[in-house]
Amino acid sequence: MSTMDSLRTRVDAVTETDHPIGRLITPPGILMIPMSVLLLCMFIGPMLAIVVFSFQTGNSIALNPLEWSVATYEEVVGGMVSGEGVYGDVLVNTVAVSITTTALTLFVSYPAAYALAHKITRYKLVFLMILIIPLFTSVNIRVFGWALFLVQNGVLESIVNLFGVREYASLMYMRSTIILGTTYIYLPFMLFPIYLSMLSIEETTLEAAKDLGASRLTLFRKILLPLSKPGIIIGSLFVFVLSLGANVEAEILGGGSIFTMASNIQYSFGYSQNWPLGSTQAVALLLITLVAGIVILRTIDLQEIASRGE
Amino acid sequence: MSTNTATRLGDRLGAGVWYVYVALVALFLMTPLVSLVIASFYDGRFFSIVDYEFTLGWYEAAVTSGSIRSALMNTLYISIPVTILSTVIGTAAAIAYTRYDFPYREQFKLFALLPIFFPLILLGLGMSMWSSQINLGYGIVPSIIGELVWISPIVMFVVSITALGIDPNIEEAAKDLGADTVTLYRKVLLPLISDGIVSGAIFAFVLSWNNYYIVSYLSGPQSTITTWIHGRMTQGFTPVVPAVASLIFYVSILLVVGAAVLEYRAVDDE
Repeated sequence: MSTMDSLRTRVDAVTETDHPIGRLITPPGILMIPMSVLLLCMFIGPMLAIVVFSFQTGNSIALNPLEWSVATYEEVVGGMVSGEGVYGDVLVNTVAVSITTTALTLFVSYPAAYALAHKITRYKLVFLMILIIPLFTSVNIRVFGWALFLVQNGVLESIVNLFGVREYASLMYMRSTIILGTTYIYLPFMLFPIYLSMLSIEETTLEAAKDLGASRLTLFRKILLPLSKPGIIIGSLFVFVLSLGANVEAEILGGGSIFTMASNIQYSFGYSQNWPLGSTQAVALLLITLVAGIVILRTIDLQEIASRGE
Repeated sequence: MSTNTATRLGDRLGAGVWYVYVALVALFLMTPLVSLVIASFYDGRFFSIVDYEFTLGWYEAAVTSGSIRSALMNTLYISIPVTILSTVIGTAAAIAYTRYDFPYREQFKLFALLPIFFPLILLGLGMSMWSSQINLGYGIVPSIIGELVWISPIVMFVVSITALGIDPNIEEAAKDLGADTVTLYRKVLLPLISDGIVSGAIFAFVLSWNNYYIVSYLSGPQSTITTWIHGRMTQGFTPVVPAVASLIFYVSILLVVGAAVLEYRAVDDE
């Protein structure tokens, strides 16, 4: 990295100016300004709005700087602690959905990521394409596709009918259907981080271990698992946080009969027009996301991804 | 010798199992999309494989419907500016982060990439509250600004990875040969990272084209394709919905495949 460092000092020497404004309009200052301004105005601002509104009173949708209250916190936290009523249900549903989704996606992704990185040589690009495409298709379109598949008179029922099964119970509107939806939607967010960390494991390392007589279990425990840990951490945090915020899945596949945190937040804002109440619930999501996001970004090494071997 | 062939056969079988497993995961990921496409060609409200009747009627209805066309136009009015602006913003930030050293460099990366990891419902909600407080309002322009917050960091991520793969000595050489900053960017740096920029731009377009959460909070009375579909899904379903959703999906597929081929070619060249 010494060339990188020397380059940096040289670039600095060229662009160094004593005047503060001069420094802003030369690189890297000018290159950072658009992103910084955008995020300060439209990312930090909105997140602050959530926090500020959570301490407001009543159903206000306009900010009142003179009235502050923790009433909504008492309502939400009280409900969750006692485990009864709407908030108790919401807590149970949300934790059930998020933890199960994280576990399921990890369970499904890990072997697939290993296979993609080390076993699959032919048609690799085709496989990768098929795995990537859903990631770039609107969440509500894919959830809608599941609804078409699962609903009565849908694709699954007509396949099942082919095998002579006539008794078909609808699989829609259950907690497990929501979990199917979230597992489906967030699977790639688990798969790709693990795949990237699997890529960084050299084939020779695996072979050396095998030659030295490592059993499959040892190979997994001593080599694969430790070396793919960053991917597992990033993927799990990512999936956990994103499934906490899953709303469309609960709305369409849960049919609005099962409330999760995200759908309850949406409800507080949409139907009951109670911004402070919705914000209080969103603050919890915000805090968890913030911590997870920082951990993820500290674990990710862009340089390593850039130099990954194909 | 015989054990050798046996292990080789075992290896083959083993490899086959891996292929089957990944194919099953791929099948799972494609299930809803395939269902969508099958349903979009089906003539009738209730679906059946046995007496499947093929029709292009729903596509025709989708193309001729006025409300769908206006939703489509709104989607484009949002996606095109978002693509251009997020590519510029994201690429600039990526160059600053990858090619320069400055105080708080890692903190800048952390801050700039953080929105990627936020659930979209949280971003959408916060923006909608903030928008009403700062009188930005709701409609096409707020939607564009809102999507930029999520998509520019993604472009920055994609371009950064390409830019980090480039040997810094090339820049040094160009400088030694007397290139000034403008020449350095125009002739050396930008051409080298152009593959990253193009795939970043394609991803930006596809993500904006498919965005639902942010737009649903910021677009106000204007409907885009995804909010139109959502509205029809939750109230007043018509068989034309699968056709519209499939159309969006076809466009995404084309672009994502294009971007991936580009990316793959760039990696292959190294």
